[in-house]
Amino acid sequence: MNLKVGDEIPELVKHPTTRQLVQYAGAQGDFYEIHYDQDYARSIGLPGVILHGLLKAGFLGQLVTDWLGDRGTLKTFEVSYRGLDVPGKPYRCRGKITKVDGRQVELEVWGEDEGGQRTTVGSATVEMAS
Amino acid sequence: MAVASVLERLKVRIGVDRPATSATVEAGHLKRFAEAIGDPNPRWLEEAPPTFLVALAPASYHVPEAEEFGKGWLNGGNRFEYLEPVRVGDEITATTKLADAYEKSGSSGTLLFIIFETEFKNQHGRRVARLRGTAIRR
Repeated sequence: MNLKVGDEIPELVKHPTTRQLVQYAGAQGDFYEIHYDQDYARSIGLPGVILHGLLKAGFLGQLVTDWLGDRGTLKTFEVSYRGLDVPGKPYRCRGKITKVDGRQVELEVWGEDEGGQRTTVGSATVEMAS
Repeated sequence: MAVASVLERLKVRIGVDRPATSATVEAGHLKRFAEAIGDPNPRWLEEAPPTFLVALAPASYHVPEAEEFGKGWLNGGNRFEYLEPVRVGDEITATTKLADAYEKSGSSGTLLFIIFETEFKNQHGRRVARLRGTAIRR
């Protein structure tokens, strides 16, 4: 294991669909209409149905656990939702190592929309196995 | 002003725990959750992926007075802290409290922020995770 500050971890590109939003609504039990009812979403000023913040968090969680594998343990994971994302557009998950302190490693993670705008930003701390 | 009174009424709830809810981690639920994210890692057939706890127990609760503010809800963010792994068969008890409520002015007007904190314990009484979530009325 040779982790350095500044290293990017392998990216993960997702292609969310409205179908996936319905699937996620059912799996999480979040039936807020803005995630599957276009008319309702527009009626409160949204561009249409939008991705669940926690679905984007799930994507970023996968980004981190795919990279980490069984080499360590996830200790904290934090995300802030800064922008709206709609189905039918690619969602690019990326991450970078920001701190290495013995076995403690910190990462910055983010999700980008098609235009490269960071609509979700966050961080993760992991403890590498010795 | 109506806005101030919504905030005042929310502030009364700060620090008050809701009754705990319990749920068992079921293999079928884990599978459906990982499939919904599109994460094919076989590890999630046995173990909860990072965000699964939100599907197991509500990490916020309905605050009807907040809905007098703005038009809709947005999720502002989530912070998970993991203390022990959560696996199939575990019985998890979640306790949620409203931790804070405040207003913030931005480019699109005033927003109402409500912070929820949830503590998750397993069947052995050990804490497995903590979650902090920010709900926004806009």
